[in-house]
Amino acid sequence: MNSDPKSVCEQKNYEQLFITHSKTLFNFIYYKCGDVQQAEDIVQDAYVKLWNNCSKVIYDKAKSFLFTVARNLFFNEVAHKKIVLQHESSTTSKSITNESPQYILEEQEFMEKLKNAIDSLPEKQREVFLLSRIDKKKYTEISEIVGISIKAVEKRMSLALTTLRDKLGDI
Amino acid sequence: MENFSKDETFLARWIAGELSPKELEKFQNSQGYPVLKKINDASQNLKAPTFNDQALLIKLKELNKPQPKVKKLIPNWAYSAAAVLVVALGLLYVMTLSSHYQTSFGEQLAVLLPDNSSVKLNANSKLEYKTLNWKSNRRLELEGEAFFDVEKGQSFKVFTNLGLVEVLGTEFNVISRDAYFEVQCMEGKVRVSSNTLNEEVVLLPGDAVRVANNRLEEWNFSLDEPNWTLGESTFFNTPISQVLLALENQFQIKFDKTNIDLNKRFTGAFTHKNLNLALKTVSGPMGISYTVDKENNTILLNSYNNN
Repeated sequence: MNSDPKSVCEQKNYEQLFITHSKTLFNFIYYKCGDVQQAEDIVQDAYVKLWNNCSKVIYDKAKSFLFTVARNLFFNEVAHKKIVLQHESSTTSKSITNESPQYILEEQEFMEKLKNAIDSLPEKQREVFLLSRIDKKKYTEISEIVGISIKAVEKRMSLALTTLRDKLGDI
Repeated sequence: MENFSKDETFLARWIAGELSPKELEKFQNSQGYPVLKKINDASQNLKAPTFNDQALLIKLKELNKPQPKVKKLIPNWAYSAAAVLVVALGLLYVMTLSSHYQTSFGEQLAVLLPDNSSVKLNANSKLEYKTLNWKSNRRLELEGEAFFDVEKGQSFKVFTNLGLVEVLGTEFNVISRDAYFEVQCMEGKVRVSSNTLNEEVVLLPGDAVRVANNRLEEWNFSLDEPNWTLGESTFFNTPISQVLLALENQFQIKFDKTNIDLNKRFTGAFTHKNLNLALKTVSGPMGISYTVDKENNTILLNSYNNN
């Protein structure tokens, strides 16, 4: 036990919390709704709420506070937009040397199909899948972010993979 | 070999690298593996849209700054005070709200009071009373002549410059003009108190009282209602000045009274319908001749018998 608990009200600690969690928070909301603006707004609102309640929130609990607030804020919004994901160019730069144009084309086609398939995943499967694959979060962390049990995270992850395989299986 | 689809968490464990080497080998040889591997590899190269966290942090710092206290130009209590003032003024207005009636020359007006008592206002008279709470506070102010038919109830008071008439439900006639004060009681019981003489008289039906020349005179009459309400003014031993005044009020004329004795008394009546007839009925018995002076719009009166 830390004898000197950090205070969220301290600017330094607050900024630290922002740097560590804001990106994940943003992505999490984005995976849900596909709306950059809404995701930014919710991140902002969540952090403003954290600041206003800084004396009541323990530093170690700030993370789960943020995700809970963000989830609750999201419940009020319903619009769903298409999830637009970029893919890293690292594969393509590598492939310039040893992949055939045919392969590159196929690869690009596959990428497009994958993105579309991810977009059409149910929200619950999508957020788990993307938090794991893009943000490289462990299942324990995802369970904290989404607010479900680890077992449920694993089930949703498996389900997402099965759904994607069924959609892309003909390749 | 599709054992992974039976186990709900198999694929999740594969992603997390938690499969045993045996399981992994088996899985890698399965039919669905290449696609899943490809999905997994490709999805790890995906990226979420860029998130400008620095800009948001700056914005947050701005938002989280303690808000400067805004002092209102008009404090909240001022609105309450204004509202109270408006209500108070409104209440004051309603409480002091009074009805006002006035008749001009030759006019008569019937006024129905809130308690169904009625007032008939003779020519050139003023009546004023407060409408609020009328039933428990029946007070009227009168200047001129009026006939009252009062419903039973709380005491009914008629204030005039010259005296107070107080009743409990009756019919009576009041004249209060200039220095002349007269009350006739037709029904019930009326108490008359004169301001000038400091005297009180109780009138029974048929009794009348007047203050003329600083004297209190009482007499009897036999009318149910004053005749003026029926288009005729009746007088009993009334100073001629009052009779002439009644004529003036009725016909909107002006008398030049310098040449006659104003202390003479007149008993009789004049009609409201015809000025000439009225003038004759008054002037004849009184031994007065009259000439109309059109220039000054006055009627010159002269005594013609000197006895």
